[in-house]
Amino acid sequence: MPSLGLPIFGQSPVTPQPAQRWRSLAERDGTVDPAAGNYPDGEQPAPEGFSRRSFLQVLGASTALAGLSACKAPREQVVSYVKRPAGVTPSVASYYASAVSRGGYGVGVVVESHEGRPTKMEGNPAHPASLGGAGLHELGSILDLYDPNRLSGIRHHGQPVAWSAWLGELQVLAGTLAKDGGARLRVLAEPTSSPTQADLRARLLARFPRARVDSWGPVADDAGREGTRIAFGRPLDAEHRLVGADVILSLDADFLATEGDHLRHARDFASRRGQPTGMNRLYVAEGSFTVTGGAADHRLRMRASEVLGFGRAVAAALAANHGLARLAPLGAPLTGERSRQATAVAADLARVRGRGLVLAGRRQPAALHALASALNEALGNAGATVVYREPVLLDAASGPDRLATLAAEVKAGLVDTLVITAWNPVYTAPGDLDLAALLAKVPNVIYLASRHDETAQVAGVVVAAAHPLESWGDLRGRDGSASIVQPLLSPLVECVTELDLLAAFVDQGHLGAWRLVREAWKVRAGGASAGGTDVSDAGFDRAWSEWLSTGLVATPGAAPVKAALDGGRVATALQAVPPARPGLEAMFAPDDKLLDGRYADNAWLQELPHPVSKLTWDNAASLSPATAARLGVKTGSQVTLTLRGKSVTAAVLVQPGHADEAVTLPLGYGRAVAGPAGAGVGFNAYALRAAAAPWIDGGLELKATGKQHELAQTQEHFSMEGRSIALSYDAAKLGEAVHQLEELRGPQESLLPLVDYGKEEYRWGMAIDLSKCIGCGACTLACQAENNIPVVGKEQVLNSREMHWLRVDRYYEDVHAAGGKVTGEVETVSQPLACVHCELAPCEYVCPVNATVHSDEGLNEMVYNRCVGTRYCSNNCAYKVRRFNYLDYHQVVSPQLKMLQNPDVTVRSTGVMEKCSYCVHRIEHARIDARVGGQKIGGDAVVSACQQACPAEAIVFGNLNDQGSKVARMQQGERRYDLLHELGTRPRTAYLARLKNPNPELA
Amino acid sequence: MSSKPATAAVLDPLEPVPVLVGRPDDRALTEGLLKPLYAPTTRGWKLLITLLAAGMGFWVLSLLTTLVVGIGAWGNNIPVAWAFDITNFVWWIGIGHAGTLISAILLLFQQKWRTSINRFAEAMTLFAVAMAGIYPIIHLGRPWLFWWLMPYPATTQLWPNFKSALPWDVFAISTYATVSFLFWYIGLIPDLATLRDTAPTRLKRTIYGLFAFGWRGSARAWQHYRIGYLLMAGLGTPLVVSVHTIVSFDFAISQLPGWHTTIFPPYFVAGAIFSGFAMVVTLMIPARKILGIEDVITMKHLDNMAKVILATGMMVSYGYAMEHFMAWYSGNPDEAFAFINRWTGPYAPVWYMQLVCNVLAPQVFWFPSLRANLKVLFVVSILVNIGMWAERFIIIAVSLHRDFIPASWSMYTPTWVDWGLLFGSMCTFGVLFLLFLRFLPVIPIAEVKELRRELDHLDAQAAGAAGHGHGGGTP
Repeated sequence: MPSLGLPIFGQSPVTPQPAQRWRSLAERDGTVDPAAGNYPDGEQPAPEGFSRRSFLQVLGASTALAGLSACKAPREQVVSYVKRPAGVTPSVASYYASAVSRGGYGVGVVVESHEGRPTKMEGNPAHPASLGGAGLHELGSILDLYDPNRLSGIRHHGQPVAWSAWLGELQVLAGTLAKDGGARLRVLAEPTSSPTQADLRARLLARFPRARVDSWGPVADDAGREGTRIAFGRPLDAEHRLVGADVILSLDADFLATEGDHLRHARDFASRRGQPTGMNRLYVAEGSFTVTGGAADHRLRMRASEVLGFGRAVAAALAANHGLARLAPLGAPLTGERSRQATAVAADLARVRGRGLVLAGRRQPAALHALASALNEALGNAGATVVYREPVLLDAASGPDRLATLAAEVKAGLVDTLVITAWNPVYTAPGDLDLAALLAKVPNVIYLASRHDETAQVAGVVVAAAHPLESWGDLRGRDGSASIVQPLLSPLVECVTELDLLAAFVDQGHLGAWRLVREAWKVRAGGASAGGTDVSDAGFDRAWSEWLSTGLVATPGAAPVKAALDGGRVATALQAVPPARPGLEAMFAPDDKLLDGRYADNAWLQELPHPVSKLTWDNAASLSPATAARLGVKTGSQVTLTLRGKSVTAAVLVQPGHADEAVTLPLGYGRAVAGPAGAGVGFNAYALRAAAAPWIDGGLELKATGKQHELAQTQEHFSMEGRSIALSYDAAKLGEAVHQLEELRGPQESLLPLVDYGKEEYRWGMAIDLSKCIGCGACTLACQAENNIPVVGKEQVLNSREMHWLRVDRYYEDVHAAGGKVTGEVETVSQPLACVHCELAPCEYVCPVNATVHSDEGLNEMVYNRCVGTRYCSNNCAYKVRRFNYLDYHQVVSPQLKMLQNPDVTVRSTGVMEKCSYCVHRIEHARIDARVGGQKIGGDAVVSACQQACPAEAIVFGNLNDQGSKVARMQQGERRYDLLHELGTRPRTAYLARLKNPNPELA
Repeated sequence: MSSKPATAAVLDPLEPVPVLVGRPDDRALTEGLLKPLYAPTTRGWKLLITLLAAGMGFWVLSLLTTLVVGIGAWGNNIPVAWAFDITNFVWWIGIGHAGTLISAILLLFQQKWRTSINRFAEAMTLFAVAMAGIYPIIHLGRPWLFWWLMPYPATTQLWPNFKSALPWDVFAISTYATVSFLFWYIGLIPDLATLRDTAPTRLKRTIYGLFAFGWRGSARAWQHYRIGYLLMAGLGTPLVVSVHTIVSFDFAISQLPGWHTTIFPPYFVAGAIFSGFAMVVTLMIPARKILGIEDVITMKHLDNMAKVILATGMMVSYGYAMEHFMAWYSGNPDEAFAFINRWTGPYAPVWYMQLVCNVLAPQVFWFPSLRANLKVLFVVSILVNIGMWAERFIIIAVSLHRDFIPASWSMYTPTWVDWGLLFGSMCTFGVLFLLFLRFLPVIPIAEVKELRRELDHLDAQAAGAAGHGHGGGTP
């Protein structure tokens, strides 16, 4: 019997209790006679027991369910409870495992739900793509669920249509299309790894053998699979294992932030940072300044088009100096400084054969990916730090080639019906395809979207898409491990999933995604029954519940494959790479925050400072200080960018450390049709993109218009002014630095009588390891989601009124050449900074009304309802981590968005100061749990929101009085220092100095 | 009003210019000094008050905007959480120091020249304090809760935090406002009685009579009055020092570089007197001309005030120098940076303006001829007022905008509401002052009469000493 009382994350599924079945309150109360047909004609039995994920506010009284089925997609009805269901305690959150798609690959998440309202998405520690960490998009996407501007229902040329009626129309249409085998049917799908969708596509193609399903991902990592196809003869997914890598060479790969399993990469990478011995070493050759570049020990600044040459120079050096003769045909030596660098990198890689790793970035040509495979193969890294698997994506390629083919077909009038489930192709398609005009030629364009956008504007039928938290589905991670996507709540709007829509073409639209997924897995489990899986109903139910509660399907993922490398093909491919076009280079890049633009309506992400440039509410054409000087532009200058005859107007951002003579053009902004958060923000770099050269292009023209565009950066000053703030040392020189660090810790003399917090049971504290921090900003976003932190908008950010309790400061430091000359190379240090909970807090004694006081456990507490708003505390805060509600930032929150708010955290009103609370509500939850168990709170039992999200495990919170706690051990380490120690504030948050591991040969 | 040339036979060598031109009799003094009150309203006055009332409307609009929208209507941010609000507050409260100083301290020191200007200065004090008192309340994020700063037996059993300077600010300002008002009012009582006795209409006689508290001018009343007045002066005197000392604690007790300075209390008091005297001069030069009281408020008064401005200006300059010295001598790099930032940072023009206005401009008062030049006096007094406002802005906003952690540095830009609250408060001050000029005697008539008699007495003494060896007697 299917149960909707779905398994809670981390809990073993329990056998459902028999319960009286009823479908509505009216039925239970006897006020409605079911025989008269007055209750919803759902096709599944009524849920057993009360569902935890009911949605009181939206569904309202259950009687409202009656009669709604006619205009809704089929789904499992969720009934509101009016009595407290057994096992649910209001105010105690439940957690459910699910998965979200990132470029089609699944990332396991755990969703916090309060009485049926999902409030936060966190990483699933059991999932290989997350390991418990969460990225910006996992954390941010929950805001999209409650977006008041989401589409609802089906619109046929603007007219609302009922799902059931439209299903009928679709059946007729499908029948017509089937006559010629679907020759005039095309599907443009979102890249996905969903096994259920694979089945569905198979059924679709069985019915329409001449139809085609293409997928389109504007920032897909096709080049990697194409590279393995060149190298190994068939497309493969590379899985990089950074834990075992001593030397990592990233050839333009932003593997810590925007590419691949970046959460796992960050965890693995950071696990090898910070300890003076055994540190890994990261070389990054890149043009744009990325998060990965910021984490590098050596950032080799070069244009994206030069990376291939650098890779070949490394190959040449390996062949020449280290006996890897088979790399000789792949290599091509460089001269000068680059040659020196390539030789040093090659020597380093050769030194650690089998423990090195070469990665290539998604915007690099496939030949470079093939070269990376060849280098890894030659160095013995393959099978150790990199393994290959059969791709789990349904389409190995989802780049512009497929889209161009489709566009050609449309142009030729060969397409009658185009089903689009890919996100907003009209906007994301390369500018030279002019998809908007082409789509007008297709009689039936059916577009599945969650918001009104550029594509929805030209599509005949727009179907509202369900949010992942409202959807049933399934996804695979890169290693093949599958997760079931389960809904957390009944859809807030009338919407369907991609599976529902595709199923409609094979006359299964009425089944609903849950049934599709479940049946598919039942079959799959049956197929695997040789392995002993019990596929009887009860057995499958048990397994299914287990999968849902752990977030992972307990079937083995795809095994690594062994494939023979064909060096000749790689060499040929390398030869075939056309030379870079001359002129100013355009380097397109997915935005760290908006990715390909799908998060443009997400105000959290819009306001999140960009990890490198700290830019909010905008994108900008980044270029190096030298190039900016040559072109006579400054940060904020408005320029016209022209590439291959197409022009856009953009703002310039001068980015230290950027490659000279190149411009980074972040994708995803400049939306013409979007919600209030996304419309008109930034410039649209897609408009410049050509299908032939989607990532790197030459001949960009940049002309200043003479106008200015205000860019809202949360950090305006990027120099540390020689102060000891974010400390960074070379690992080899830590011994010399220890003396300086010792001066920056330990108690300072004080005239005041000091409280001995050592006698208290708990002394909460935090340690932030700058060696591990990559500056991605996930902590900021996690804190925002956890603590109901409002979004303030660009104007307020321009006025330095952003409300983030936790900011990530980023400092640039010039790398000087031997003679002290500025080389244009910069190093960066990122430093997350929230309230450090000073034991002698300067904010406390200046508050006239005692609104900020110290708890006996050492928390610097903010009493919101006592605060009168003098702001004196902020003035006296040396760290400037206090945030003031200058305006009523919560007034603009729609009722729908209010449901997102964490009930454990007070919402602050105008005129009140706020700041990091050390997640005091989590401490109190832990205290309650400990008291119930009659125990002390464990030293590591309280996990702050920032700590939980941090993919690199740079932030650790806990009880400093528990000597065994991780935070206590970290704070006793030799790298520990206190920020602004000289002030004697005795901060509870301590920093661990950053260690870098540079190659002495390159020093 | 009599305008006989000065006949003063005896000149105090320390007071070479007479503090009263001529020796008008009581009737002449009463009529002369009350004439502006009984004369028909002039067009100039009407025009001026209309203009200022318009400015006051702007002020009210700015206040209402602040209350409705929140502090977000201003340009304040993080890190610059205090800016125009507290700058205006300290500026006005500083201006408010001249009145009490002139009235109380100079009274205790028996400086005769204060007599003709004390009412004027006290009224200015009162209005300046009223303007100043607005800011600490409206600068609160939740101004309707301002009373939480006061100690009262709350059911929450919470007291204000006495470690903070802000509750002491409340005490200091409210005490100062109360004492200033009482002092001013007590001084007014004999004149209110004069007004009651001389006013042309019944309505005016009734109203002035009500406020005169039945003053009859009996010797007994005078005796009590004099004691009471002296006591108020005694009460007021420490306040001159205490108010701005406590205001300076708002900054000095913090740890912000540029604020955390032990020199602040004396330096703030000197600055307050500096700006207060400058404001008195600014207002007095046109007022004595328009009201035709140039022989009551003489060049001697202006000369003395210019000297005070010079002296306090030097003290303030010493404060600046000492701040810089300590920034260097302490070896504290953050402190040093705060001062380098004043010279080279983005707000450097304001700093140079401050130096020109507060350090250079008063130096002209070394020259007696320039002290006697009304134009120079007027311009310098205005410059000093601008300079003192700039000084507070530099201390408050410029120290805040770049402190310890460079990543949190930011700029402050005022909004129209900020400007409205600054200029609007000046206009409101002007409106109050114009009303004062119209309805109350600007010169303490009773005190001037007393001064005349004292001068007569001195004349007689001098004549006696020259002729008969003894003469005169009480007038």
